Amino acid sequence: MIIERRVSGLLILATLGVALFLTLVPLPDTLAAARPAIYPATVLFWVLMQPLNFGLLAAWGCGILIDAIYGTPLGEHGVALAVAGYVVIKMREVLWTFPIWQQGVLLLPALVAYEFVLFWIDGVTGAEVNQWWRWLPVLTTALIWPFWAALLERIAELEVG
Amino acid sequence: MRGLAEDDKSSLLGRRITPGLRIVAIVLISVIIMMVDHASRSLSPLRSTLAVATQPIQVMAEIPGELSHYIGRYLDRGGLISENEALEQKVLLLQSRLQRLASLQAVNERIRALLASASTLDQNVLIARILSVSPGPYRHYIKLNKGSSEGVFVGQALVDAHGVMGQVTVVTPLDSRAILITDANHGIPVENNRTGLQTIAQGGGKSDELRLPFLTNNADVQVGDLLVTSGLGGRYPSGYPVAHVTRVKHQPGDEFLDIVASPTAHLNRGREVLLVWTSHTAEQAREDEQITDTPNQGDAGADINGP
Repeated sequence: MIIERRVSGLLILATLGVALFLTLVPLPDTLAAARPAIYPATVLFWVLMQPLNFGLLAAWGCGILIDAIYGTPLGEHGVALAVAGYVVIKMREVLWTFPIWQQGVLLLPALVAYEFVLFWIDGVTGAEVNQWWRWLPVLTTALIWPFWAALLERIAELEVG
Repeated sequence: MRGLAEDDKSSLLGRRITPGLRIVAIVLISVIIMMVDHASRSLSPLRSTLAVATQPIQVMAEIPGELSHYIGRYLDRGGLISENEALEQKVLLLQSRLQRLASLQAVNERIRALLASASTLDQNVLIARILSVSPGPYRHYIKLNKGSSEGVFVGQALVDAHGVMGQVTVVTPLDSRAILITDANHGIPVENNRTGLQTIAQGGGKSDELRLPFLTNNADVQVGDLLVTSGLGGRYPSGYPVAHVTRVKHQPGDEFLDIVASPTAHLNRGREVLLVWTSHTAEQAREDEQITDTPNQGDAGADINGP
């Protein structure tokens, strides 16, 4: 289990870099709306799997980075990721007992929390997007979680053995 | 599972911080930062530093799209030839028009000089390439490959061959980000080219739609009317085409008309844009620089701090 070992920071950074790349690759409008939130999923994966190594502050920092790239108010994605991370921490004893391919569904509360915080702050700052497909990434992320998380775990296991 | 008892509570200054306390602190700090960031530009150095640090990834993310674009062009030789022919014809046509324009401009400037008018027709332009379009489907931003090192400034207008596209909102030394006129946070002062009626066109959040929410039922607007920039607010140069009115609807019981217009600029096609310098907007930018502390409340209506 990688939970009890420390994965190197370099590996975590590399996976976050790849996730960011997948988030920024341009897609057609219709597909972009349903694009899985790979980057938040990666952050949540490390919050879940590296409790000794990757905490809420790290998740917050990862979100601030996204804010700088997207041009959203600094802290918007930061606080969203931290809140989602908090939900994951509260649920992790449960999550650990399930195999990765079942975790996607269990992660829905965290993903909804993430999207909801964004939705809320968007509304407060006057950039409201109130269309149902805004919530599509929650579903697609939950669907892609088994594959993505399994891949990340395999890579981490290769490193820590 | 080793260490699970203490991993929830890390030790800091001899006290134990639970995730609950930590999340409360993070939320509070974030709210403060967001308020500061939303109200002033004081955090923009931090923002641009972070953006520059992630630039390699952003540039890499563009590669697949670019690659397919170039491969497509390479394979489509017949298309290129016909495109070339069409362009040559267009150049010929435009050159003939330009000849007339040169003399007209000369006449215009003489008359303006006679009128002692302060406004000039001189406008510098710089061609910038679109590096990427907005990462989310809801915000209409584009990223350009020209930054402050080439004189790009916040508030600078952006046009393409067909009309106004938007304005620059964030400038880093090497690139800049511009908000498009269709972003829901953007408004542009326009006038009806047929009647001279002034109003504001707001983005509707769709990539092919502008709304004119402030015209009363007796306003003279027809489908097909061309809206051009009025130049009020000082952010956009006047006289550039913005949109064609595509729908005028009177809602019974409503005092305002429901008017929809479609932008003339090719907002989500094309890979190049023109950055416009007018002597007027450059001065305006310099003034803005001097009063950066107060967020711009100008009637250009656009949120220059970003959403």
